[in-house]
Amino acid sequence: MSTSSKGRPSRFLEGSSFVRHYLWKYRVWVSLGLLFLVVVDLLDILPAFLLKRSVDVVVEHQPINTLFYLALAYVGISVVQGFCRYGWRMFLIRASVFAGRDLRKKYTRHLYGLSVSFFDRQLLGDLMSLATNDIEAVRMAIGAGLLVFADALFFLITVPVAMFFLSPKLTFLVCLPLPLVPWIVLKNEKEVHSRFLKVQDSFGKISALVHESLSGVRVTKGFALEDVQISRITRLGEQYSALNMDLAAFQTALGPKLDLCMSFGLFILLFVGGSEMIRSPQGAITLGTFVAFQRYIQKMIWPMTALGMAANYFQRAVSSSNRLNEVLETQTDVPSVALQASRTRSPRFGRVEFNSLSFRFPGTIEPVLKEIQLTIEPGERVAFVGRVGAGKSTLFSLVPRLYPVERGMLRIDGIDVNDWNLEELRHRVGYVSQDVFLFSESVLENVAMGLVEGASRSEAVLEIEAAARIAAVHDEITRFSQAYVTPLGERGVNLSGGQKQRLTLARAIAKKPDILLLDDALSSVDVATEAEILRALRTRPQRNTELIAAHRISTIQDADRIVVLHEGRVIQIGKHEELIQAPQSVYRQFYEQQKMAEELEAYKNELEAGERL
Amino acid sequence: MNSKLEKDSDSVPSSGQIGLEDSKGKLHSGTVLQLFARILKYRRITVEAGLMIFLGTFAALLEPRLFGYAIDEAIVSKRQDLLEWIGAAFIGATCLRIYAAKRQAYLFELLGQRVAQDLRVELFSHLQRLPVAIFDRVPSGRLLTRVTNDIGSLNEMFSAGFVSIVSNGLLVLGILIWMLVLDVKLGLIAASVFPILAWLSVYFSRQLREAYGEVRSRLSALNVFLAENFSGMKTVHLFNQQIPQLRKFDELNQKYSDAQIGSIRVFAYFQPMITLGAGVSIALLIWFGGKETVSGHLKVGVLVAYFSYVLSLFQPLREIADKWNVFLSGMTSAERVFTVLNLPTELKKEEVLHKTQPIPEIQGNIKFENVWFSYRSDREGDWVIRDLSFEIRAGEKIGIVGHTGAGKSTLIGLLLRFYEPKKGRITLDGRDLREYDKRSLRASFGLVQQDVFLFSGTFEENITFWDSSKKQEVEHVLKELRLPIRNLDLEMNERGSNLSMGERQVLAFARAAASKPRIWILDEATSSMDSEQEKVLQKSLTQISGGRTGIYVAHRLATIRETDRILVLHKGLLVEQGNHGDLIKRNGLYSRLYRYQGSQPSPLCP
Repeated sequence: MSTSSKGRPSRFLEGSSFVRHYLWKYRVWVSLGLLFLVVVDLLDILPAFLLKRSVDVVVEHQPINTLFYLALAYVGISVVQGFCRYGWRMFLIRASVFAGRDLRKKYTRHLYGLSVSFFDRQLLGDLMSLATNDIEAVRMAIGAGLLVFADALFFLITVPVAMFFLSPKLTFLVCLPLPLVPWIVLKNEKEVHSRFLKVQDSFGKISALVHESLSGVRVTKGFALEDVQISRITRLGEQYSALNMDLAAFQTALGPKLDLCMSFGLFILLFVGGSEMIRSPQGAITLGTFVAFQRYIQKMIWPMTALGMAANYFQRAVSSSNRLNEVLETQTDVPSVALQASRTRSPRFGRVEFNSLSFRFPGTIEPVLKEIQLTIEPGERVAFVGRVGAGKSTLFSLVPRLYPVERGMLRIDGIDVNDWNLEELRHRVGYVSQDVFLFSESVLENVAMGLVEGASRSEAVLEIEAAARIAAVHDEITRFSQAYVTPLGERGVNLSGGQKQRLTLARAIAKKPDILLLDDALSSVDVATEAEILRALRTRPQRNTELIAAHRISTIQDADRIVVLHEGRVIQIGKHEELIQAPQSVYRQFYEQQKMAEELEAYKNELEAGERL
Repeated sequence: MNSKLEKDSDSVPSSGQIGLEDSKGKLHSGTVLQLFARILKYRRITVEAGLMIFLGTFAALLEPRLFGYAIDEAIVSKRQDLLEWIGAAFIGATCLRIYAAKRQAYLFELLGQRVAQDLRVELFSHLQRLPVAIFDRVPSGRLLTRVTNDIGSLNEMFSAGFVSIVSNGLLVLGILIWMLVLDVKLGLIAASVFPILAWLSVYFSRQLREAYGEVRSRLSALNVFLAENFSGMKTVHLFNQQIPQLRKFDELNQKYSDAQIGSIRVFAYFQPMITLGAGVSIALLIWFGGKETVSGHLKVGVLVAYFSYVLSLFQPLREIADKWNVFLSGMTSAERVFTVLNLPTELKKEEVLHKTQPIPEIQGNIKFENVWFSYRSDREGDWVIRDLSFEIRAGEKIGIVGHTGAGKSTLIGLLLRFYEPKKGRITLDGRDLREYDKRSLRASFGLVQQDVFLFSGTFEENITFWDSSKKQEVEHVLKELRLPIRNLDLEMNERGSNLSMGERQVLAFARAAASKPRIWILDEATSSMDSEQEKVLQKSLTQISGGRTGIYVAHRLATIRETDRILVLHKGLLVEQGNHGDLIKRNGLYSRLYRYQGSQPSPLCP
């Protein structure tokens, strides 16, 4: 990032807000850490001084006991320093870990509050990278960044002061090459950064090529392209190596360059200091001073390097914070309202009214639903048919208000969907979507998601089993190795498509919704089982409203009403018999075709049965 | 190791065998040897780098000694001329040290890059030649990691780990020896704390590895959780699971930061130990060395040099402890890379055969003789192709129809030898397919598939496959096929999102036509075209393909109506064959399929 902070102060301030916020929040830890750091840095002046004294004692034949005290002092300083080093790490860096943890928490909490449309727009990789890399960058600024900065600052004051105290003239001379250091560090950082970006870019190209060659392995082989691909990777790899070498030329140059500055200082000390001592043996510069200077010069290199490092840490934190802020400033497009205690559950709930409803996805122009006018009575079963893209799934997803709906267009139990408390609304609506999503936890935990918290465990288990029975999946679950506590996903059982669908259905049934929406939710379940499930749903004592999108005739024809959707509009509504007989019935075409497909399926099964004989 | 994978393991290695399990930093001599062989290729670089390390270490040892010498011989003895000489020598030593350090870093980087590039190309070439069956089983993400991350950490091992360990190790050794040579007694005193600290360094690097391992595994648990929740956010909202999920998150988050603090604590303990060790060492020097100097047994400059040596003894130790982990993870990566490299490729046998048998002009006479095939080779059963026998005469156009799972795509896979029949044999022009070199065999087929795979590059490059000699051919082919194309230089977006499905299929046709195939295979190749487009294409295709054999797999029966013969497959069995008219008369599966599709155009069905 080459944008300087003075150009856009507000952006920098905004970007450093997290760093400042958490430094303040953990101010006690941070101050303790810094306190220890000050002690370490102050003590760091002394060893060189002790060496000076020792040498002077030796050269000037002072009492030999002094040496013993000096040695003792040296050990003492080391002990105190060691203790303080432990201290600043444990306080300062720990504070940064806490800050990272808090920021991660804040970020995740915010994401959980955002609506589905936000997640439709974002790439998973980007969200993950924010959660890991960017939060880490902020943390590093708070911990390592602050540490390095403070350390450098102290050293820049204490070491020159100590040197000045010993010999002002020599201090001035040996420090001559030092101002070059920050300049070298910053310049090098700039060069390295621009090259680093190129290397990363090149690495991306290699990854992409390897990725495509792996996923397109059949094409590569089918066209005998192995050699072409190999020459491509060879070329890219060579480019990558060359860029890396270019980067390394700068990266590896920094150390030697700084080393050169330091050595130049040492040379000045050796030559000028040495000459001075030869000329005036009783002058200001003793042999001890000479030795102490040697140590101090070696110490001066670090703060210079450190300033460059600190600048780097803070710069990264600022750009990461700005990225994080973009997400944190996003507001949900389906804000909830406060829960109203007066609404109690009664069996006759579940009316859905679409009132001239039109809808388009946030950020798009083309409407997906147009002028939908439909009222569904409590306890009614309504089937929706239409081809892919007709708007069935979108219509269903509006009932639990996954997307924002304009006021007045959709009422649930007579209340505008915008006036419902989201949690309560979603508790009353059971929506089973086409894309099955189960958590990699146990079967029980997955199904229990629908239950109200607070029920006792045994009650909950009973309810879960009841739901699983209705969804015709209970028997299969009991056959899993650990029955209901079998974990799902990578570490556990791999379910078939049909099992997954029935499990998600059970999860929705378990919460006893007033309105149940099945969006092509049983497509991988065989016809007989599907019929069984639909029957079980009907024979429950508490019938809920059901909206079912499906292709199979058997699923559709017994519904109380059938709604035919086409390109976002309702084109036919009625009972099966009515629709079949309507003039120019789109529904009839659909019916006949579906009939034929089912006949074909039956013939296929016949063939298979024949084989088995 | 991994029972779930072991269960259906067969000739194809499980992911565990592809080196996915974390080995616990043990070095296998095989890996070391294989790596060594690859370094030996760059003997000149290695030797020069070694030399630089030696020179650098020597100069680094010389500098403090020169300082001490200056004190004793020039300053104390008041000899300005000698001081000038020593100053010059100091500058010389410094320049030598810095030059050596720079050069050595460069050379190791170069060596790392060279070896990494060699291995990258070798690994990639190897992956290209592995049997297709491996790619069915091992997720491509894992193989990708081998070529990118593992090669990367190998590279880092050379440029960061290896250099640091060797040069710092040598420096430590040099300092110790020099101190002992200079003055045995003082050397022993100064080095007395060294063994303890060396042991501490080993201990520390092990602790650190464990702590980092813990941090990594906690972080990955946290990431897995977040990725799952972010992608299942709809479910979280629908079931009001925000609070329970956040509770789980908090727990994982806390565990992660605890692990981080654990790793910090390791550092926090180690650092003071080093400080204390150096302190004790110097204190001993002050006391004993000081006394020796006062009594005249030791020159003061030597003592000063000892101070420098001791102080520069401990930094390298830390470096080594730090970089040892880089080195180990590089070795682990090397091991994984070599495991993949040791998998047998599909070409090894044939390369020999190929040399002895030149491939004759292919006529296109295909014969399946009692072919059986199953994707699992551990046991018989789950047959996808069952006792399939039929013949396609050269120049004949054949249609293949059947439901999903009938075995149509498998049949093509067998023809292209992505898979080998489990029983029976397939012949081409009277010779078993196995006698052909796979690559020239495949090159003689022109395969057009429904999913058109696009490589990154331009539209044209996707047809010519970077063979510029085919450029004219492409224009000719596109003209012949009467296919309008917007722009040949169009750069493909990720996954070709800037092409329509129709355009993609056009590309696939042109691609196949440009390779001048002897046998055409069209696998659902026109399913995304409208019937008008399809008709035009069919007509021009007849022209292009001339008298070549053609195999048309299609769901849409209108596409294959005109073929010479139609094979109806069901569950890997050939249930009917004949031309369209015959099959309609038979009133079997084909005629039912046909009737069903006759009523297809409807606003309701996809």
